[in-house]
Amino acid sequence: MQRIAVIGAGTMGRVHSEAYSRIPNAELVAVCDSQIAKAEELAGKYGAAAYADVKRLFEDGGFDVVDICTPTNTHLDYIKLAARAGKHICCEKPLARTTGQAMEALRICEEAGVTLFPAQVLRWFPEFRKLHDLITSGAIGEPVEVRTSRCSAYPRGTDDWFADMKRSGGVVLDMIIHDFDWLRWCFGKVRRVYARGLYEAGIPHTDYALVTLRFESGVIAHVEGNWAKAGGFETSVEVAGTKGLLSFASKDSAPIIIELKSTDEGKVGVTVPESPTRESPYYLELKHFVDCIEDNRKLDVTAEDGVEAVRTSEAALRSISTGQPVTLA
Amino acid sequence: MSERQVVKIGIMSFAHMHAYSYAACLKKLPDVDFVGIADDDAVRSKDAAGRYGVRAFRNYEEMLESDVDGIIVTSENANHRRHVVLAAQAGKHVMCEKPIATTMQDAEAIVEVSKRSGIKLMTAFPCRYHPAFIRLKQAVDSGELGKLLAVKSTNQGQRPGGWFIDKELAGGGAVIDHTVHLVDLMRYMTGAEPARIYAEIDNRMFGGDVDDTGIITLDFTNGIFATIDASWSRPKSYPFWGNVNMDVIGTGGIASMEMFAQKIDSYSDENCRHAYVYWGDDMDLGLIEAFARCIREDTAPPITGEDGLKALEVALAAYESARLREPINLLE
Repeated sequence: MQRIAVIGAGTMGRVHSEAYSRIPNAELVAVCDSQIAKAEELAGKYGAAAYADVKRLFEDGGFDVVDICTPTNTHLDYIKLAARAGKHICCEKPLARTTGQAMEALRICEEAGVTLFPAQVLRWFPEFRKLHDLITSGAIGEPVEVRTSRCSAYPRGTDDWFADMKRSGGVVLDMIIHDFDWLRWCFGKVRRVYARGLYEAGIPHTDYALVTLRFESGVIAHVEGNWAKAGGFETSVEVAGTKGLLSFASKDSAPIIIELKSTDEGKVGVTVPESPTRESPYYLELKHFVDCIEDNRKLDVTAEDGVEAVRTSEAALRSISTGQPVTLA
Repeated sequence: MSERQVVKIGIMSFAHMHAYSYAACLKKLPDVDFVGIADDDAVRSKDAAGRYGVRAFRNYEEMLESDVDGIIVTSENANHRRHVVLAAQAGKHVMCEKPIATTMQDAEAIVEVSKRSGIKLMTAFPCRYHPAFIRLKQAVDSGELGKLLAVKSTNQGQRPGGWFIDKELAGGGAVIDHTVHLVDLMRYMTGAEPARIYAEIDNRMFGGDVDDTGIITLDFTNGIFATIDASWSRPKSYPFWGNVNMDVIGTGGIASMEMFAQKIDSYSDENCRHAYVYWGDDMDLGLIEAFARCIREDTAPPITGEDGLKALEVALAAYESARLREPINLLE
């Protein structure tokens, strides 16, 4: 049984807590958030202790694992605290705000002998796992060109932290890092990155980037990161190979769409497509994490993978700033 | 020329398959007389002439000596220059298939000879006449998308054969074949010029002499950025020849165009095939109509030779960028 302390009671903290509450060999014992009301609300739901102060959390102890769901720029500090306390760590993606920080996190955890799991959850999304399996089993011959797309409205976090590029890194670091990790899983090492985007454009609550990746294998990938939508969430993937084409679009894959009329009481009508699965990808991801700790097994996604994902995102951000392609050594 | 006068148009070379669509449009349009065909390939010429019930001229000279008003040049890319020069020197207006040429020298020569001869030179960019693009441009022009920020586009097709994969005749592969369409739409839609080009290009799909895969990134003079996917990435089993898609991202919203979305899914046990049956408008009709109109009304062609040249410049810069692995500045 792994006793879990979640730091950060925002959207991801809630999602992770819910998943832990259903994992048989995990127990959510503490939730920490500087906004104590949020910590109390989430902790109360699962019978866990609520903390406002992370120092107090570590002083009290009584847990084995720390799950970090705070704004990106704070990840390294919490990783340091947890590693020093000998706790295993799940850290929400991106692992850190910069590659340097991510590498430091990796080193510290290695030295402390604790597990560091970057929560690159996309690998547990069934459509992305199926695509990976099809690609690597040779379903379309040699992969040649790949397109991915990840689109939503601008996210609104606590203190609007996503809007502060210094904290979030925008759509390139926060959003399409999912695709960068998945692409690396499927196609190996990235050699070269070129990107254009609105990272430094200063347009309020709008970010958009188009990134070209060239892999060591020769694969060319085009990655769209879109935080400019009015609403909704959409992903798509297309992989063209020497023997065929794989194509997926979330908008064409919703097995259920619920459409509600506007009511006289003033409730606005909505149309919500959903793609329900027996288990949420977050559950599968965190169950894998907990199982690996319990069984002392190697994780499917390692801290090194987390570092490489940040490295690709950072290269894209640098390319946007400099207008030059960035070659990864 | 006065209003309603019949415009006489002939086609030089059926090397490019678009010639067949243009020929069908010429037959459909009122006040247009499709006078005939001239082609280096006598068999192809006779066959096409028979198909459309028009005259097969013995050679280009014979067609150009006739009272034809305008010529559509649909030869192999590398032969455009030779054919446009012939037509221009005979004082005939020309619509030239895209890409306008395979080199900047040829493109400049084509533009130059047309100016010198005082003829109208139009480049065949039919996508401008597709109702979906017209609507997209309207949305941009109306300002409802706000300030434009970025454009994402694709022109992915099945791999053609024949001279399209012959480097000498085509000038390249998928990138020169497809990039020009989207560059033209972007220039026309934004009123801005491409300033900087970066591209990753390869031939790993088919491994031939020419490229089959390209991602081109553009910075425009007005600050927007864009990408073009110019590739032959639709497999033989794909239900349609390809696509022309464009997403325009603005501060006020996003417009997404899928030019050939007006389709019916067809599943046939006859050949065990799934196919998209397109039911939208034929954009070539608008293109040919515009060519005939500018001759009839003696106005400037709506798409110029310079438009063709600018689009080609981007495709050639893309090849240069891919070779050097660095961005190419077009304005220096």
